[in-house]
Amino acid sequence: MTIERRTVVRAVLVFVVAALAVTLFSAMTAQGATVSDSAVSSDISMTTTTVDIDPPDDAASEPAPTSYSGSNRFLQSIVNGLVFGLLLALASVGLSLIYGTTGLSNFAHGEQVSFGAVLTYFFATQQPVSLPMIPVSFVIGMPLVPAALLAIAVAGALGWVQDRYLWSRLRKRRVGLVQQMIVSIGLSLAILNFIQWWVGGRRLRLTPDIDPRYQLGPVYLGEQTLISTGIAIACLLGVGFFLTQTRRGRATRAVSDNPSLAAASGIKVDSIVRLVWVMAASLAAVGGILLALYENGTAFDAGARLLLLMFAAVTLGGLGHPFGALVGSMVIGLVTEVSTVWLAPDLKYAVALGILILVLLVRPQGILGRAERVG
Amino acid sequence: MSSTDPFVKVTPEPGAPKPDPIVVAHGVKRQFGGLTAVDVAHFEVQRHAITALIGPNGAGKSTFFNLLTGFDSPQSGEWTFNGHSLAGVPSAKVARTGMVRTFQLTKALNRMTVIENMRLGATDQVGENFFAALVPGLWRQREADITAQAHELLERFKLYDKRNDFAGSLSGGQRKLLEMARALMSKPELIMLDEPMAGVNPVLTESLLDHIVELKAEGVTVLFVEHDMHMVRRISDWVVVMAQGKVIAEGPPTSVMANPAVQDAYLGAHHDTDLPEEL
Amino acid sequence: MDIFIDALGETFAPTTAAFALAAIGLNFHYGMTGLLNMGHAGFMLLGMYGFAISTQRGAPIWLALIVAMVVAVLFGLLLGWPTLKLRGDYLAIVTIAAAEMIRFLGRSQSLQGLTGASTGIRGNDYKYTFEALSPFPDERITVGWFTYHGTLSSSWWLRVVAWVMVLAFALLFWRLSKSPWGRVLKGIREDEDAVRSLGKNVYWYKMQALVLGGVIGALGGILWALGNAVQPDSMGRPTTFWIWTLLLLGGAATVFGPVLGSVLFWTSLVVVKRVAGVLVPDSWMTQSELEPFSLVLVGITLMCLVVFRPQGILGDRREQAINV
Ligand SMILES: Nc1ncnc2c1ncn2[C@@H]1O[C@H](COP(=O)(O)OP(=O)(O)OP(=O)(O)O)[C@@H](O)[C@H]1O
Ligand SMILES: [Mg+2]
Repeated sequence: MTIERRTVVRAVLVFVVAALAVTLFSAMTAQGATVSDSAVSSDISMTTTTVDIDPPDDAASEPAPTSYSGSNRFLQSIVNGLVFGLLLALASVGLSLIYGTTGLSNFAHGEQVSFGAVLTYFFATQQPVSLPMIPVSFVIGMPLVPAALLAIAVAGALGWVQDRYLWSRLRKRRVGLVQQMIVSIGLSLAILNFIQWWVGGRRLRLTPDIDPRYQLGPVYLGEQTLISTGIAIACLLGVGFFLTQTRRGRATRAVSDNPSLAAASGIKVDSIVRLVWVMAASLAAVGGILLALYENGTAFDAGARLLLLMFAAVTLGGLGHPFGALVGSMVIGLVTEVSTVWLAPDLKYAVALGILILVLLVRPQGILGRAERVG
Repeated sequence: MSSTDPFVKVTPEPGAPKPDPIVVAHGVKRQFGGLTAVDVAHFEVQRHAITALIGPNGAGKSTFFNLLTGFDSPQSGEWTFNGHSLAGVPSAKVARTGMVRTFQLTKALNRMTVIENMRLGATDQVGENFFAALVPGLWRQREADITAQAHELLERFKLYDKRNDFAGSLSGGQRKLLEMARALMSKPELIMLDEPMAGVNPVLTESLLDHIVELKAEGVTVLFVEHDMHMVRRISDWVVVMAQGKVIAEGPPTSVMANPAVQDAYLGAHHDTDLPEEL
Repeated sequence: MDIFIDALGETFAPTTAAFALAAIGLNFHYGMTGLLNMGHAGFMLLGMYGFAISTQRGAPIWLALIVAMVVAVLFGLLLGWPTLKLRGDYLAIVTIAAAEMIRFLGRSQSLQGLTGASTGIRGNDYKYTFEALSPFPDERITVGWFTYHGTLSSSWWLRVVAWVMVLAFALLFWRLSKSPWGRVLKGIREDEDAVRSLGKNVYWYKMQALVLGGVIGALGGILWALGNAVQPDSMGRPTTFWIWTLLLLGGAATVFGPVLGSVLFWTSLVVVKRVAGVLVPDSWMTQSELEPFSLVLVGITLMCLVVFRPQGILGDRREQAINV
């Protein structure tokens, strides 16, 4: 995999320009940075929408408390980045698998993430909950772990249903990939608003417990964070094991590589794709739940906000390359978190986007991807 | 046609120099990961002649076409068209210099009509500039000329009756024909056809072969990839054989297949190619 | 009867025109060239920021319009530069991300002085240059069932200007789509490698389409802002998706598809909300739940449209038979 010199030069140039711009910008903003957490966004007029609530202003969504002493901030942000990267990977591996096996850029994947988290809230919370259109509210109040397991199962089932009744039919009708992508956008809009209709726009906490914090050397980690990280690593290892060591996993990779060749060599592409959908949906739910624990809460649009980062991660690693999604997520996680050492947290996403554009310029097929053939 | 055969003095060996080459490629190498798809040491195409490029499946013919026309870039190598270097030149510019190609997997513009497909092939239409497009007076005349030219070509390729149908509704063979006719709209100096006759019925193939020979008479140079040896023998003046990315033999169509290297290449790759009668 | 008049009023409301105009821009992207611009709301938002901020700083209306358009051109160039050489999905991903970035930056506290952060910019701060041009009297005017102010905010004046602009740009679309320039773009939509092999500079044409559509989107944003206010959160992802829905509803690549789509979209949204508000008891669905409910319907409409009638209402039936 050789990279041309010309492209490297171009990349360095872009990087320098971007770095200058960002430095300038942050120097400008540093003067007027009197951060006041006034989230003024509650218009209910018809044309304005409150659907997307901005993360940077939302103090509760900032996982890294900024009160650590300066010298440890860097290490702390690296640790935060690694943790966030792992959780992001969990959510985006499925996106990448779906892309690899079907060619679909699934814009509704973010909603799968929120769905898992919101469903866990629904099962676990001590608050009264209700279902849309049904004027009865009730309390389920299951313990967190069974609630999460149940939510993951339901989310996986939703993945199965989606593929069975929607995507597999579209593939059978030979609906083009662009059209399928637009369908996924419609689906994302529908699910997103359904969830909002269901649980409202509030921030939802999965557990009322206060998370005890431990000091490990120079960094702090919450107990829930540690457990979440453990679970994430276990899940990712499981996916890795599945893809490399089992027959179905190898078949999945064969389908990713070349679906028609795989079909010709006797692999049942449709059932592999069905499996991938179930896996992707459940992994997204796991990711959503763990992120909700890590960030101390979730909301109907948690996944929608994450979608941008997931796409960045997947593109970065190479669209359709499952291990690429892991690499890409770690990079995105690290870079976004570490950037907060120098930049205002509102620029976190800008940094992720900058990296994405940079990578597209230098190596459009992503870190691990391959070029496509013409003609 | 040409009274003196330009190939008389050319020695039939790989990379043989030609008296009047239009394309010269040297040291062109393209690797995909570990696989070397193309590794051509030297290659020349004679002007005003019909050259066939043959070779077993996966020999690297299409990849070589992609490299020459700027659709793909090699790891190393130099090549020229009419003496101008084309290394690093984008594909559209290559086409504008007079070197136009077709694709093995047909690329008809499905949701456009046949006649619109044809008009798109033409050059020098000022209306393709955004500002000129706003003033129809500037491009109406040229459009009429283009349309007349297109009608003529469509007649020739038996597509005239289909001119107002969507290209997507044509059969596979008709799409091949359309693609070739479209490429001719720009009156290229060199036309490169990647398996032009695959899927075209025998009767039409015959008349098309005649058209290709006619093109040569009109001064167009033709380079084409083809698996059908009958066709290669009927129209080509010179044959270049590729295998595993390399040019392994060259020669006149009557004798090149007798070359042992060629037989090895074909028999090594596929036992069922239509070689036997050649042996 | 009230519902009927409301719905009828919605057919020529400024918002309807603004979305029709933005959709004409998207039609240059998707309908003509096949570009997957998923960040159209970003162009609209930039347009309104450009217009409102320069007006606030004392620019006359023509200068404010030019500033807005230049900003949109730059944004288009920036987005197109890394992505237009790549497969379509990349443009989709980058545009959706970039549009969100514009919104984040716009509502970021650090730019409060410029953009007014999440509160946005009040209408009174930038509408006066436009309203000063109004030939209509400065009072409420009733025509038939409809009573609107002559010049202020969502006025008759704005309605007239907005629809004249929509018609002008529909005419532009018609002219260009019937020209050789439009032919090249349609070729790119079908297969860009083929067009490249015919000697057209595909990258440059895609860039022209992206920029032109983006500028039209920015003008749509200005129209919207003249009827409402500059509010970053009203130009989020859902807005882009609405524009897509109404474009596909009317029929992509057709001249009047965006207009018809916008009219149908907004009137049916009003009808759905009003009818649901009347018929569904409050205990089942509160007033604040109506908004997400109607958006669920929008999402489902979008899916059904693409699957069952991809050519939309005005599209060519013959095209549908062709598998792309
Ligand atoms: N984009 C690509 N990525 C990886 N390998 C490629 C790519 N394009 C071509 N190849 C490989 O390069 C080799 C040459 O392919 P090419 O299409 O040029 O063969 P060909 O001579 O045209 O064959 P055919 O007669 O079957 O058309 C093949 O082994 C092919 O698999
Ligand atoms: Mg080939």
